[in-house]
Amino acid sequence: MAPEPAAEGRGNPNVAAILTWLIPGAGHVYLGRPIFGLVAFLVVNGIFLLGVRLSQGMAFEFLQTDLRSPIAPVLTPEVGNLSAVIWHMREYGFGPPFPRPWPASIDLGTWLTAFAGLLNGCLACWAHFDARVPKGMRPRRPSPGLLVLAAWIVPGLGHWLQGRRLRGALVFAVVAGFVLLGTWLAQGANLDRERHFYYWSGQFLAGAPAWILELLHGHDLVRSDIRYVDAGLAFAAVGGLLNILAWLDVYGVAEREALESLVPEVEPSAMPAGEGAA
Amino acid sequence: MNDIGIHLLLFAVIGAGIMTMAAFYSEPVDSPALRSIPRRLVVFAIGCGILAALMILAEYTVASVN
Repeated sequence: MAPEPAAEGRGNPNVAAILTWLIPGAGHVYLGRPIFGLVAFLVVNGIFLLGVRLSQGMAFEFLQTDLRSPIAPVLTPEVGNLSAVIWHMREYGFGPPFPRPWPASIDLGTWLTAFAGLLNGCLACWAHFDARVPKGMRPRRPSPGLLVLAAWIVPGLGHWLQGRRLRGALVFAVVAGFVLLGTWLAQGANLDRERHFYYWSGQFLAGAPAWILELLHGHDLVRSDIRYVDAGLAFAAVGGLLNILAWLDVYGVAEREALESLVPEVEPSAMPAGEGAA
Repeated sequence: MNDIGIHLLLFAVIGAGIMTMAAFYSEPVDSPALRSIPRRLVVFAIGCGILAALMILAEYTVASVN
């Protein structure tokens, strides 16, 4: 049975998304799915706290002194988990007014805090969609939040899973190609968050291509002048930022397809005799 | 290749990538999206050229530090 066009959703999509942004899982609690919300809260904040522990709360100490301000974290991936980033700033801020050595695991730690931020962004997409699903119905297609997560982790994978393979391959070629070309031009100097804090945030959006390159070449010492470092930084960061367009494209199509695929949560054949006749 | 040549090449590459993604974002069907890329690239290049000219003009007039 096709759903009624004007069927009421489970809640306000914008409220669900904003609640998730403020506190991971809160949007799903608002939508009447407390277990899912609690698990989401534990996963996202568990990753974030592990990152804080590994980095000893020094993520924002990477920022140069003249770039430090209370709103400096707004342009970082961590802002996707707003309550956590506010807590981080209140608890650790920019550290003491003198330089100190980084812990050995700071790169993994700050990667995890950034990952938790964007993971919560995908969760907000998920909550936004779930709010539009009428009560008693469920989509037969994957949640748009899941496809956006796939599109972030591997550029083009979201399109690929939707069956838009040519588009997915071209998105991968552009995003991964830009990150690769940028890394070549900057000789890997672009991959270090300490060295290029905000450019790193941009290329982090490119997903696995940037992460793998960082793992392989991200923290080498710079021993000479790099002629095209600025172009390399621009290419890698633009690659990540262009991936946002791909996410929006994936989300729009996934949302439409999922809303068109709604079926009753309890199949009519499973209902007691006579109940589905009305 | 000289430096200006490399910069123009890099501009062409980044412009092509940006316009490819913009075309896919604007057009839901692949074929029209791919066909629109050359036109978008020309518009992008003209727009960037105008912007660059305005910046150079400003650099030598109101924003001059000499």
